[in-house]
Amino acid sequence: MNELIDKLKQELIEVLNLEEVQPADIDNNAPLFGDDGLGLDSIDALELIVLLEKNYGIKLNDPKEGREIFKNMTTMAEYVSQHRTK
Amino acid sequence: MRIASHCRITPNRCLANGQPVPVQRSERPYLTDLYHSLSMGYPKFFKMDNLCKAGVLAAELVLRGSSVDGLTPRHDVAVVGLNSSSSLDADLQHLQHLHPDSYFPSPAVFVYTLANIVTGEIAIRHKILGESSFYVIPEFSAHQMAKVIATTLSDANINCLLCGWIEVLGQELDVLMMLIDRLNGPAPTAQNINSLYNER
Repeated sequence: MNELIDKLKQELIEVLNLEEVQPADIDNNAPLFGDDGLGLDSIDALELIVLLEKNYGIKLNDPKEGREIFKNMTTMAEYVSQHRTK
Repeated sequence: MRIASHCRITPNRCLANGQPVPVQRSERPYLTDLYHSLSMGYPKFFKMDNLCKAGVLAAELVLRGSSVDGLTPRHDVAVVGLNSSSSLDADLQHLQHLHPDSYFPSPAVFVYTLANIVTGEIAIRHKILGESSFYVIPEFSAHQMAKVIATTLSDANINCLLCGWIEVLGQELDVLMMLIDRLNGPAPTAQNINSLYNER
């Protein structure tokens, strides 16, 4: 799981253009959205949905699902490992 | 009315009020190096398209030291932009994501496929709540800019105007940003604007 989390962090930084953020800066259990964590916004959420489909073959039909999936890096990695098709 | 400050950005060169802005060059794009030189601490910059990056950097330079401090919301400040390529730079980037064999449009790219997003980004950064508009015209026209300035400032509610020519397309980078206020001074004419545009 840790290996997948690290890979997702790299992909997240790249796809969201978080130029001043290093993978080590992202706490696995810190919120990705909102002021307390990484501070991602709604456009970032859409970009993460595209990332899941493009890199892992996961298609989210209901964007509201993302609220739980993208809670933090751990929840994201758990969902990816359970639902990936590639 | 007067031009309180201005800046000029062209490929590999930036002038603020006629003086070169020192930029530590690296392998990164010039606008990124300029961002770091200005120590802006605004991570959202990296999410922007090049048109917005250019406009936001130019606005940063002309507003430094002004009464538009980015802390107090300002209803009396307007932002007006002009260019000739609209958002074509971002449009072409968006097009690359629409390949039939790999159809993954990027929401983060798509949101910049409108030219007036740049005036919005400047307004967000500096808490500007006055008029915001963007004109796409055939080519740089100091005459047109002078008219836009006069029209915008004919609104008594507006005390200060950020007006910029912000042209970005591929390697082309051509920016003139001006801060115009109501303090005593000569009203900007096409000739004044042309002379700032031709600064090297």
